[in-house]
Amino acid sequence: MRTFLLKRLPSGLLVLVLASFLVFLILRLIPGDPATTLAGPDATPAAVEAIRGQLGLDQPLFGQYLSWLGHLLSGDLGPSYAIGGQVADLIGNGLGATAQLTLGALLLVVLIALPLAVAGATTRRRPVAAAVQAVTTGILAVPPFVTGVLLVLLFAVSFELLPAGGHESLLAEPDLAVQYLAMPAICLALPSAAVLARYLKDGIERALAEDYVRTATALGVSRRRIVWRHALPNALPSAVTVLGLQIGHLVAGAVLVERIFAWPGLGQLIEQGVLRRDYPVVQDLLLLVVAVYVAVQLLTDLAYTWLDPRIRWE
Amino acid sequence: MTALPRPPVPSRRALLRAGLAGAGLLTLAGCRSAVEHARNAAAAVDAGSPRRGGVLTVAAGIDVTPSLLFAVSANTLVQRLVFNTLTRYDDRLQPQPELATSWETSPDGLSVTLRLREDVLFHSGRRFTAEDVVFAVRNLQNPARSAQLRSTAAAVTDFRRNGDFELTLVLAHPVSNLFDLFEFMIVPDRETVEEAVAGTRLIGTGPFALTDRKPGSSLSFARNEHYWNPGRPYLDGVEVRIIPQAESLLSSLRTGQTHLSYAVRGKDAAALRTDPRFRIKQYDTGAGAHYIGVDVTAEHVRDKRVRQAIAWAVDRDRLVQQALGGYGTASSVPWPRSSPAYTEAGATHYRHDPERARALLREAGAERITLPFAHSNEPGATAIAQILQYDLQQVGIETVLQPADSPTMQKQLISQSMPALWTLSHGFAQLQPATLAVSAYPFNEARNSSRYSSPGYTDVVQRAWNRSAGDSPEARALHQQITDLLLEEEFVIDLAIAGLVEVTGQRARGVTLNKFGYLNLDDAYLTA
Amino acid sequence: MTTATLPLTSAAPRGRYRSALLSGRGLTGLVLVGTVALAGLLAPLLTGTDPNAQSALALAGPSAAHPFGTDDLGRDLYSRVLHGIGTDLALIVTAVPVGALLGCSAALLAATSRWADLAVQRAFDLLLAFPGLILALAVTAVLGPGRWPVVIVVALAEIPGFGRQLRAGILVQREREYALAARVGGASRARVLLRHVLPNAVDPLIVQTAVALSLGVFIEGAMSFLGLGVRPPEPTLGSILSQSVAYLATDPTFAAAPLAATTALVLGFTLIAEALNRGIRR
Repeated sequence: MRTFLLKRLPSGLLVLVLASFLVFLILRLIPGDPATTLAGPDATPAAVEAIRGQLGLDQPLFGQYLSWLGHLLSGDLGPSYAIGGQVADLIGNGLGATAQLTLGALLLVVLIALPLAVAGATTRRRPVAAAVQAVTTGILAVPPFVTGVLLVLLFAVSFELLPAGGHESLLAEPDLAVQYLAMPAICLALPSAAVLARYLKDGIERALAEDYVRTATALGVSRRRIVWRHALPNALPSAVTVLGLQIGHLVAGAVLVERIFAWPGLGQLIEQGVLRRDYPVVQDLLLLVVAVYVAVQLLTDLAYTWLDPRIRWE
Repeated sequence: MTALPRPPVPSRRALLRAGLAGAGLLTLAGCRSAVEHARNAAAAVDAGSPRRGGVLTVAAGIDVTPSLLFAVSANTLVQRLVFNTLTRYDDRLQPQPELATSWETSPDGLSVTLRLREDVLFHSGRRFTAEDVVFAVRNLQNPARSAQLRSTAAAVTDFRRNGDFELTLVLAHPVSNLFDLFEFMIVPDRETVEEAVAGTRLIGTGPFALTDRKPGSSLSFARNEHYWNPGRPYLDGVEVRIIPQAESLLSSLRTGQTHLSYAVRGKDAAALRTDPRFRIKQYDTGAGAHYIGVDVTAEHVRDKRVRQAIAWAVDRDRLVQQALGGYGTASSVPWPRSSPAYTEAGATHYRHDPERARALLREAGAERITLPFAHSNEPGATAIAQILQYDLQQVGIETVLQPADSPTMQKQLISQSMPALWTLSHGFAQLQPATLAVSAYPFNEARNSSRYSSPGYTDVVQRAWNRSAGDSPEARALHQQITDLLLEEEFVIDLAIAGLVEVTGQRARGVTLNKFGYLNLDDAYLTA
Repeated sequence: MTTATLPLTSAAPRGRYRSALLSGRGLTGLVLVGTVALAGLLAPLLTGTDPNAQSALALAGPSAAHPFGTDDLGRDLYSRVLHGIGTDLALIVTAVPVGALLGCSAALLAATSRWADLAVQRAFDLLLAFPGLILALAVTAVLGPGRWPVVIVVALAEIPGFGRQLRAGILVQREREYALAARVGGASRARVLLRHVLPNAVDPLIVQTAVALSLGVFIEGAMSFLGLGVRPPEPTLGSILSQSVAYLATDPTFAAAPLAATTALVLGFTLIAEALNRGIRR
């Protein structure tokens, strides 16, 4: 385990360095310029040049890159260009909201996928299997921006059960916060839940066809016990990989879902940052996303090896 | 045969427990409804005429840009809440007192003397004096502030103070749009102006003070207890919520989570028209004009007959109906109804006449041409671009659409690197016509995205600008000359004036906008 | 001896695939995908209406002249949806195989050595960690709007999915008895990988293909929604659908046709994959 970590950490750091370089480059490949965004629609070229100088955008690219890395390492993220305020505060505020949304969605993914997969894989009644099939496919076929708007029209506008969008702090007002969280979390969770359910169902079905299940059945072990204690655990490792991948999709999906539900998270921040070419905000945020992702992958791999003893930590 | 693998997994009981915890949260949620909570955020006040109390919630489509505090941009919801202007136009474009109580222009038009209110405090407690007006004008002269009316501010060459509350502005030449500047220019606290443009602190003299800003999410304002206008404002506070997705913004109004918005699309406003819970108002200043910009140095379109052909080819009425939901006016000129230069004949000069367009193209030898056409990739702008593309196709002009996001468009606009055709919208035509030609970039006589310049245009614009304000036959003649020149040259092909649509829920009353669209809530209140 | 312990061999895959496709599930899937795909391919024959022809008749409901009604610019939705299917299919049928090929090659490369494995895994991490929005923005910005940016973004997004599935499969299969036995029996590392491990590790890839095809449809939609899709006015299912979102409350029929086509396509792909999957396991 320690050797595993020792081996993984340096390569993780390498990924971060590579990512920082890519992030920096990609932002500058996208046309448009922070100075023109800051200067406004009726600015004179002189005003734009003055702002470029102020922001240090007239410096050579490599120098800009090094100065950004220097700031990062010193722990001072500095002020944002166009959004206003310090980058660290902006990211800090957004992080809380996005963490709430993503964790809420992740919980829902598991809660939705597990029963669907088990029901779909073990039922002998065709209507149930067909229903599971229809639900998982239906969810995948409808894009989240349609689901989101439909949910709002249904639960907020027609039934007036849930607020149409917005956010409350989970710490200050937990009961209200859960209601604000409900629709965006469902909207975000559904596609991933469908994908996970499909893999899990497949894994369980495959495990049920294995020899040891036949043996266990012959030995008189109850079907329920076989599914929950033998088939499901065998299907988990590959499902965990999928879940790990889905976390990436959850973070990416947050951009769409946060927009639809006016959820003040990192997805909105990144979109705002890109739309205003706020380089510091986007650079720091993207790097953070990569770092979190690398960490999640590390944990997934740990869980994978822990769940499947056939794979050793080499 | 494989041995029975039994890896450690969370037990079923643990899973059950997790599920119950989730269900528990939902049950807990049942005791208080967030929907009701949001609606009641505005403390209940009785029906009837103006009442104190309550928080008005405004739904905005985009967040403010702090660096553009002194320009007209996305900040118009904030500018007149936190700050004041010197004067304020009434509906006949007569200036009315605000921070300035009276004013006098010298007979030669080269100086203006202002008397100022003596009872005005900044939110910081400091008293407002003539020195703050001097600072405000100099602030706008700074190119980094990107103020559209900078050229007018720059015409002020000297200040003569006569005590703390009287000030004479000395002008380089008479200026016809000086009161446009006084309508436009907010008076900031000179001690904190750098913090204001960095987005960390806003100190003004206005009816509300900024208490909290969550970038990309919301802005909260509390009543200024020491506001100079007695008994105002009625509201305890204002909350601006940023809801970028248009459908979600509409839902927030429908569910009563927000009370007021200027960001409702025309087609959505049309759907709300029959709903008794909403009142929809249009301002005759409009929300800017949609236009096709033309690079007059590009192939084919350097011939003004081709540009005129484009103007004849567009079905403006269909554009207003399908892209603006009927909330707008087809127009061949930049001027909305509030402008002194507005004439019916000018607005309807170009009608939908494909035959005439084809004839002009034949005459210019520009049949079957292909032109690049840039547009913003937002849904509304994309719809407009597709309508224009189709109409142009009908007269034999093929276009290749080039969608791009707004920073990209803006960079191309400022750096004069737009393709042959593009579509965007412009403002600044609602007041003195000179303001458009010296302030709005597409029309700027000195430098514009179309690369258009002519001695005739420069001359007529300068004559319209270098004169004192006021309606006169000469002024009207100059305005007509500008209109005629724009209609002849068509380097900016105006299509339609977008409606400035105000959607208010039943509860909000007394909301107004100034001529630049600054939200004024001095007299606003909420009914029960 | 070694081959006897293999749970599957590549003896007659063609026959198994065929019988799988002819099962109830497989047939339903084939019919769904076939119908939708045929409608898309034959769009020019099925409708004489130009999908980009506009009219003053906007947001009309279904009628004889416009079986699915018209959109907000008065274009015929029947024609737009049919042509949109064609565009979507062309996009994903190009992008998914490219993504699968690249992903699987990377996974095989990863199986050759520990260092390669590390490098490939980190490359997947990097690809996955980059939010799709940024990727889409960058690619579209560099190439300009059109079909190619969509194809590239979809392909890039598919690489890690295929790669990681195959890698996980190889890891599991490599530790199984038959693989160990083959290695003990003196087969080379590469031979064990290609002849024994790989054929047994491809199962999850078939499910992955179904997911990938529907993910392709989804990514195209999301890019259209963000204004980064194919160049307007060319119709795609995603662009029609994202356009219709603004009218869900007032004109729900607008969304019905593109939504139905998308659902049928995704459902069809899934059913086919499941049928194949069952057939292989049998």
